[in-house]
Amino acid sequence: MSTNPKTDLPMKLKMNGGILNAGGDVFRINRRDFLTTTGLAAGGLAIGVTLPLGAQANATAFEPNAFVHIAPNGDTTLHCGRCEMGQGISTALPQAVADELEADWNRVTVLQGDGDAKYGPQATGGSNSINQMFEPMRKAGAAAKEMLMAAAAQTWGVPIGDVHAELHHVYHADGRSLSYGELAATAAALPVPKDPTLKTPDQFRYIGKSLSRHDQGDIVIGRRTYGSDAKVAGIKYAAITHVPVYGGRVKSFDATEALKMKGVVKVVKIDRFANPYGSLGGVAVVADNTWTAQQALKKISIEWKKGEHGDYDTEAYKAELVKQVEAPAEQVFEKGNLPGAFEAAQQRLSGTYVGGHLSHSPMEPMASLVSVRDDSCEVWASTQDPNGIQKTLGAFLEREPNDITVHVMASGGAFGRKFKCDYVQEAAALSQAVGAPVQLTWSREEDTRAGYYHSCSAQHIEASLDEQGNVTGWLHRAAFPSIGTTFNPAQERPSEGDLDAVSGHPYGIANMRVESGLSKGHTRIGWYRSVYAIFYGFAINVFSDELAHAAGVDTLTFLRRIYDNNNDPELAEQARLSRGVLNLAAEKAGWGKTLPDNQGLGIAVHHCFESYVAMVVHAEVNGDDIKVHRVDCAIDCGLVLNPDIATAQMEGAVIMGLGLSLNTEITFREGAVVNSNFHDYPVLRIQDAPAEINVYFTNTEATPTGLGEPGVPTLPPALINAIFAASGKRYRSLPIKPITV
Amino acid sequence: MSNSITINGQPHGVDVDAGMPLLWFLRDTLELTGTKYGCGMALCGACTVHVDGQAVRSCSTPVSVAFGKNVTTIEGLSQDGSHPLQIAWLNNNVPQCGYCQAGQIMSAAGFLAQNSNPTSEEVDQAMQGNICRCGTYKRIRRAVLEAAHAMQEA
Repeated sequence: MSTNPKTDLPMKLKMNGGILNAGGDVFRINRRDFLTTTGLAAGGLAIGVTLPLGAQANATAFEPNAFVHIAPNGDTTLHCGRCEMGQGISTALPQAVADELEADWNRVTVLQGDGDAKYGPQATGGSNSINQMFEPMRKAGAAAKEMLMAAAAQTWGVPIGDVHAELHHVYHADGRSLSYGELAATAAALPVPKDPTLKTPDQFRYIGKSLSRHDQGDIVIGRRTYGSDAKVAGIKYAAITHVPVYGGRVKSFDATEALKMKGVVKVVKIDRFANPYGSLGGVAVVADNTWTAQQALKKISIEWKKGEHGDYDTEAYKAELVKQVEAPAEQVFEKGNLPGAFEAAQQRLSGTYVGGHLSHSPMEPMASLVSVRDDSCEVWASTQDPNGIQKTLGAFLEREPNDITVHVMASGGAFGRKFKCDYVQEAAALSQAVGAPVQLTWSREEDTRAGYYHSCSAQHIEASLDEQGNVTGWLHRAAFPSIGTTFNPAQERPSEGDLDAVSGHPYGIANMRVESGLSKGHTRIGWYRSVYAIFYGFAINVFSDELAHAAGVDTLTFLRRIYDNNNDPELAEQARLSRGVLNLAAEKAGWGKTLPDNQGLGIAVHHCFESYVAMVVHAEVNGDDIKVHRVDCAIDCGLVLNPDIATAQMEGAVIMGLGLSLNTEITFREGAVVNSNFHDYPVLRIQDAPAEINVYFTNTEATPTGLGEPGVPTLPPALINAIFAASGKRYRSLPIKPITV
Repeated sequence: MSNSITINGQPHGVDVDAGMPLLWFLRDTLELTGTKYGCGMALCGACTVHVDGQAVRSCSTPVSVAFGKNVTTIEGLSQDGSHPLQIAWLNNNVPQCGYCQAGQIMSAAGFLAQNSNPTSEEVDQAMQGNICRCGTYKRIRRAVLEAAHAMQEA
């Protein structure tokens, strides 16, 4: 099997930071369903779009596929199938369509597609929208353009070779032209080309350009609507409080006082829906407005039954994880001769690295509007996975998934959380209970306490160095509740697949063993932006910095040497690209420059979700006060579709990485989350944002890969290494300044 | 004092519980959804509006506080999206998800009305009550300074 991560699908699936292996079948099923639907073969990245939909002879508008619609007046609507949560996908994908279509961007309106198989896989996660959909989007635009050209050629009675398309017009060599609007009706009657010719990079009009996001004009005037903003006639509003402990239930409740309140429609007990995407269970109030629902909820006295996870305590649990990884655990991968390497070592070093649970905490808490009727179910939701909503509500309502209509609303942040649709299923239950459309908006407290958390983790690494300071052996043990535990509670430890990112790390250390420590799940574990790459990137990079210091070698030199020593042909490209971004970040940051006292540079590099990122952090440390002055980021994500949006993704990743390094951790005691809101889950604020964040792309012509997630994992270790350089203090546990709750 | 509020220039009678936060009156009663709920405790700033020109957190401001007063929401900050902050937000491509940005802009507008020539540090100080989980802080900082400059030139 080829292991070129840019082109080889099996490797690609394997390298998605554990998502595919650890999340059950979400991505795989979507992909398979889609390929079956469209009858297209799965080769490389050749996921097709639904072509054709069937041209209609008497249509006046031109709609050659699910993505392109051109009205007789030339107004062009491009549909985005992927979900927008701030990553800019609803600009970037239509931008690719418009380029191949030779559309005038000023004539283009972007609309978000509803949940529908005609858009291909819509599940938006794993940073895979760009790499899966770039080529299909280009083909959707190119096919439409070829049909418009054919329509013009037919109109003029000339060979198609005599015409060309440019900015919403088709021109004849003699200068005649017809606009796209004028050609729409004729083009609509023509056959859809199956394999349209794509532009060469030098012909790109929009690809590679920093087009502004299509929706920012609406955002700055308050007109962009999110799941929590959806309104329909007869709407009721709801608030909910969940069982505090995973697997617990409502024992009893007294709603007498709540029901006396003016405007309260109904108090509803929500049962746990034992589906990975289903409700934890709780009690909800439906009322005339959200405030009344929230106030009434406070007047309900509820007795909970805790259930089997009622003793979950994260301090104790993390201590147990450390024990697990500091003793032999279950081997999942081995190569070379590790005992031999350790035996022959000039020196051996070990380190244990720990991280806490994290909550996604998007600014828009979980919210959706659902209207369930006898003959229909309509959903307006902030979501990353409309198909997941269709399946989950289909199962809950005992209806066909396709009978659930999902309007995909903009998500006010998501970061992996809105892949799950427990909040939508709850709104459906409430709509059923009151016979009206119900808008359910979770409070911030519920958002914080009823999440699908990033795994807490412990890792222990031992390595051997030879006399020249080369790494000769690497033992890596990890223990963390796997995402798989949310799907299969019987899973007791990280799977072999969960540990792929370690076993297949671009370091390619010749003698290696990877072990998995016992770590059962006691809460719902989810995909958080970057997933396992956060703690893998942290442990591997901090430990590498420690190794470099032990070897007496500059860290940059040490890292280069590791990649140079990697002679595994299957990892050659990964090593090369990792080294490329490492060098770029180091060069741009001025690695090695002299800094004032108490200041230092730290460097880290990580490969995940098919992209390569390196960062250099410049930090200043005065006692407990840690200030980040500057971050230099280098990224290889192949061809960059929209440099400004890509840059914004990296800037955001730096902020999120900094927040989780310094302050944020979800703590459980007696089975329940003790954090509640932004005072005790203190995400980063503007005064702690670095003064300077510089972003550099290698920008090759390779197939573009995603950027939503890959920026996060390098920030924490680069920061920790910078703090060490500045102060000599080595942190091995995140967050380094936890808030005591 | 009448139970009436002028919102974006339009008078509105208020027939909800006087203790209801202004946020929910705007969002659920008037269906002016540009003002967002983020925390309910004045911790995140997503709900920021102006009451008689002062930036306030509408999630923690009872509707009765605004009786007889002028409330401006993001929908009414300018007639046509031409407030210097809105222009600066577009120039700098500030928004990612955009959910917090109405609150960011309203906070910044209240701030610039009091300090027309701020330093970067003063911008940070003024904006620290507004959380952006997407991490657009660098661009917010730049956009506020740019808007301040534009307002001085005007």
